[in-house]
Amino acid sequence: MGTQTTYSTGKKSNSLSASESRWGYGLIAPMMIGFAIFFLIALGASFVLSFTKWDLLNAPVFNGLDNYRKVFGDPKFRTALFNTFAIAVPNVILRVGIAMGLAVALNSKIAFRTFYRIVFFLPVLTMPVATATIWKWVFDPKYGPVNGFLRQAGVEGPSWLFHQNTAIFAVVVVLLWSGVGYDMIIFLAGLQAIPRDYYEASSLDGASGWQQFRDITVPLLTPTTFFLSVIAVIGSLQVFDLVYVMTRLDTSNRLPTLVYYIYNLGFEQRQMGYAIAVAWVLLALILGFTFVQFRMQRRWVHYQ
Amino acid sequence: MNNRTWRWYLSRFLLHGLLMTLAVIFMFPFVWSLLTSLKTMPELLRPMPSGSVGEVVRYLIPKHWRWENYQQVFDTVPFGRFYLNTIFVTIARTIGGVLIASLAGFAFAQLRFKGRDVIFFILLAGLMVPDQVLIVPRYILMREFKWLDTYQGLIVPLLFSAFGAFLLRQFFLGIPRDFFEAAQIEGASPFRIYRDIYLPLAGPALSAFGFLTFLWSWNEFLWALTITNSTDMRVLSVGIALFQGQYNTNTAVMLAAANLATIPLLILFLFFQKQLVEGIALTGVKG
Repeated sequence: MGTQTTYSTGKKSNSLSASESRWGYGLIAPMMIGFAIFFLIALGASFVLSFTKWDLLNAPVFNGLDNYRKVFGDPKFRTALFNTFAIAVPNVILRVGIAMGLAVALNSKIAFRTFYRIVFFLPVLTMPVATATIWKWVFDPKYGPVNGFLRQAGVEGPSWLFHQNTAIFAVVVVLLWSGVGYDMIIFLAGLQAIPRDYYEASSLDGASGWQQFRDITVPLLTPTTFFLSVIAVIGSLQVFDLVYVMTRLDTSNRLPTLVYYIYNLGFEQRQMGYAIAVAWVLLALILGFTFVQFRMQRRWVHYQ
Repeated sequence: MNNRTWRWYLSRFLLHGLLMTLAVIFMFPFVWSLLTSLKTMPELLRPMPSGSVGEVVRYLIPKHWRWENYQQVFDTVPFGRFYLNTIFVTIARTIGGVLIASLAGFAFAQLRFKGRDVIFFILLAGLMVPDQVLIVPRYILMREFKWLDTYQGLIVPLLFSAFGAFLLRQFFLGIPRDFFEAAQIEGASPFRIYRDIYLPLAGPALSAFGFLTFLWSWNEFLWALTITNSTDMRVLSVGIALFQGQYNTNTAVMLAAANLATIPLLILFLFFQKQLVEGIALTGVKG
């Protein structure tokens, strides 16, 4: 795709390509200078600082592997890790599954399909902080409609956001509400790419709608499903705004996730070195899961 | 038409039933938030009655539409200031981000220079690293630059989107290099070729990436929370989040603030619906 370069040996084109090179470096310069400062230098500094103890005021003190050793014995880290996974696993599975179902339903010539698409997509546009503000009151034990409707059914609902398990459930619901529409749009684009002939041919062979879904749609959508699962895992491991607003009741942290814990350590407790070390553990988790997903894709992803 | 049997009608009926139920669940938080934001204090303090459907509907709709709640958002906190900050920062990040990413995307796709593919690969590798790893060093850089609590601090570090360079490079790769060579023979510099030929052709890709940047920037929270600390420098997302912890405001005013932060994007979406949907589809299919 245009990456194969062929240089002609003529004098004129040599001087042309020298000026082209200068332009090339010049045009990528703004991006690369920014990248060097805010990414490469920051990444290097982050790595070095993860081996120090630092309160931001005094000079950082090198303390070897202490931060990393501390991570594995830290009960708060373990709680944050548990919460993160308890949110991520159901979120990834349900999000991709529901979005695929909606996309398949809304790809057919069904009445009101534009209306449905817009309705499922609107939460994607909503600011996560606003989403959290609204849902915090939706789940309010006394005045919230969730418990209001439960009371209609004769059930006294729990104080959702005040207990670990119910808070995890609530956060997953809100993540699904705000994320499903995005995946649905990508699945719809993936469905558009499946040639219609496949369905026509299998109809002639007498395949039912369900058989077509199982034998044509699902296998041919696997590249999209794979892409969305990778993105969903990375995103779920970094949940922050939602939990910060939804569960930041009183002063105690009711539902710390990994990123919440990093923020809390760094900017509320001023344990910079340790906060960075926890962030590197998060990076390792993200790289690890992405790597495993790429390794496993051979078993289930079909490229045309 | 021969497949429109009673089975077909039944399955359509069930499908619409399911989709409608989901649509009601998806719309409910918006509707509830709009209605509740207009309630008066005594109404807010009344839990939902457990009775007939009519009673519940009457409960959900405010008796006296208290539009003053929206006024009160601006009276309690400098919400107008948060608004202007958000608009300014978002526009700056969008214009700057699209410009920088399109220059780089063009050069990576169309120009030939040594090390091009290696540099591009390093840039892409950066996409794997979550921002949380970089946030502390970036904060320290901002402190060294004396950019804490400033607009530069809010804008500049977030201008360099490797994702954008990737997306626009993919787009520019689709334009034949003949265009470039023809213009070069005419004596146009690569920058003029970029500006006069390639940029106008890239309209759809630029607006898609621009809208995604706008959406992400409008909603951005973690960096804005970290880098700013004076009330005057807060953006909407941070303002709304902190205002819940600090002030003992009533629910209606809180929800009014959340609605005010969301409405501009919903309006913008109605105008740019096609670009946004295509832009999102582009990120998925190419990925």
